[in-house]
Amino acid sequence: MAKKGIPEWLNSSLWSTTSSPSPVVDDRPLRHPPAATTVAPSPPIVERPPLSPSPSAISTSPSPPLPVRPPFKSEINDLQNGSGKDGPGTETPAAEDISRKTQVVAELSKKVIDLKELRKIASQGLPDDAGIRSLVWKLLLGYLSPDRSMWSSELAKKRSQYKQFKEELLMNPSEVTRKIDKSKGGDSNDPKMESPRVLSRSEITHEDHPLSLGTTSLWNNFFKDTEVLEQIERDVMRTHPDMHFFSGDSAVAKSNQDALKNVLTIFAKLNPGIRYVQGMNEILAPIFYIFKNDSDKGNAAYAESDAFFCFVELMSGFRDNFCQQLDNSVVGIRYTMTRLSMLLKHHDEELWRHLEVTTKINPQFYAFRWITLLLTQEFNFVESLHIWDTLLSDPEGPQETLLRICCAMLILVRRRLLAGDFTSNLKLLQNYPPTNISHMLYVADKLRSK
Amino acid sequence: MVLVLALGDLHVPHRAADLPPKFKSMLVPGKIQHIICTGNLCIKEIHDYLKTICPDLHIVRGEFDEDARYPENKTLTIGQFKLGLCHGHQVIPWGDLDSLAMLQRQLDVDILVTGHTHQFTAYKHEGGVVINPGSATGAYSSINQDVNPSFVLMDIDGLRVVVYVYELIDGEVKVDKIDFKKTSTSNSAP
Repeated sequence: MAKKGIPEWLNSSLWSTTSSPSPVVDDRPLRHPPAATTVAPSPPIVERPPLSPSPSAISTSPSPPLPVRPPFKSEINDLQNGSGKDGPGTETPAAEDISRKTQVVAELSKKVIDLKELRKIASQGLPDDAGIRSLVWKLLLGYLSPDRSMWSSELAKKRSQYKQFKEELLMNPSEVTRKIDKSKGGDSNDPKMESPRVLSRSEITHEDHPLSLGTTSLWNNFFKDTEVLEQIERDVMRTHPDMHFFSGDSAVAKSNQDALKNVLTIFAKLNPGIRYVQGMNEILAPIFYIFKNDSDKGNAAYAESDAFFCFVELMSGFRDNFCQQLDNSVVGIRYTMTRLSMLLKHHDEELWRHLEVTTKINPQFYAFRWITLLLTQEFNFVESLHIWDTLLSDPEGPQETLLRICCAMLILVRRRLLAGDFTSNLKLLQNYPPTNISHMLYVADKLRSK
Repeated sequence: MVLVLALGDLHVPHRAADLPPKFKSMLVPGKIQHIICTGNLCIKEIHDYLKTICPDLHIVRGEFDEDARYPENKTLTIGQFKLGLCHGHQVIPWGDLDSLAMLQRQLDVDILVTGHTHQFTAYKHEGGVVINPGSATGAYSSINQDVNPSFVLMDIDGLRVVVYVYELIDGEVKVDKIDFKKTSTSNSAP
């Protein structure tokens, strides 16, 4: 009897994570050595005899748009290659990659880029090299307009604007007073040089002084900001400690950390309503990484300014997640997590019931980090870049796509979740097991509301 | 951008009870990086209070200080500047620029900070500066009964130091600013 409410294609063991490889491995000897295309999946599904129609369901469903990219376990690869890939079933992953890359490059070299087309290609994943990802993300986030001829002027304008921000906002008060003095009148210390023992000129100033407690005082605001700055500094130091790009004692790491600090500081100063919240550094990190590693050296030099604007753009969609006052409102994080629950209930009621009712795992326990940090903490860096390709390119918008991916993450481990209690499930969800990203994104894609 | 607080001659509890409340409200921890004190605190409680404003505290011995372990002179380097510290009762005549200049050459410093006269002064000579922050509590001195409380805050930024002078005149805090730029050739090393 097919379990209620779960689409048949979903119930195949194909989609389960490979942390329980034993059932898959044990079944292999049962199969005939030449795995026929449609027969291969049936032995693993031998545990559920009523579901024998599923192999055909798989083969008739559109062949997964995502090829099996660096497959995590080779068994899954074999299974998938054996199953429903009708035509291009014999194409190796590398060849698929190359064809996608040529597609992307072709699209990018057009004079006026079709964003819709680009989104479609990008949602299947972007190649890692030749600075393609950097360019595509800039287009997807609206930093660059689709019209290629406008790029140089736009970029120049934005980059100089960022430079201006830096000068205005990152200067400490001493430098500011120095600038003001210089503009007011030159260095009048010299004329008095010859006559010793003369009292140095003293100017009466009702302007700013370092101990001022006034609200408009430059100095006072500077000291008030130091708290935020210290928080930013601490978080930047902790960003991706395993990556040489971000941490360590090398000059490169230091300059990257400084760049991150500058971007976050300017963002905090320009947005007094939301300032800086822990976690923004994690969202900025991939953006900056991609732009800094752009193969075009000219672009890489301006990585900081470009990353700033793209970060602002990305945050504009997600800033409500960071605002504490909005937590309980319709746009806040709590409501988003409720929506995730509803989505799960819609697609997999049994799992939803088990999680929320039986084991009482509040989505707050796991989904908070998933959603606010855009899944950067759940997977390794390279995988999260792939996820972000899909996130940024989906026409439904990153917020919707994020919820679908989270739902897919839950469904993929449903077997383990259903078998587990509160403790083990929580442990599982807070340390999400490594999984095949392409699988996950495919499942997320299928969860699109009809 | 290093903020250095220079003050001294508080004479607590003998001649004054405490710093003026307006001064105390301005001296909050976290803003100042160093404190240099010309001496005559006189008691440990003031020492502790200054420590709460900034942990990096340098004091020299004044003639009424109860802690005998403070040194007579001190020199320290902050940024590009060498600062010298001495109470000033050892330099006779008290407050005389020539004698202080002698001490400055002796200590080989750019900025000499002394006290004892309870009177704010700032002299410039031969590429060096002699600053007297006055008395932070307004305590009377042997020469002067009518003393305005004052102290000095120096903002050291590269080769330039901006001296902010805080004086309590008629119950109001008045702030003055003095600019001093060190010429890089100024310190001749024999």
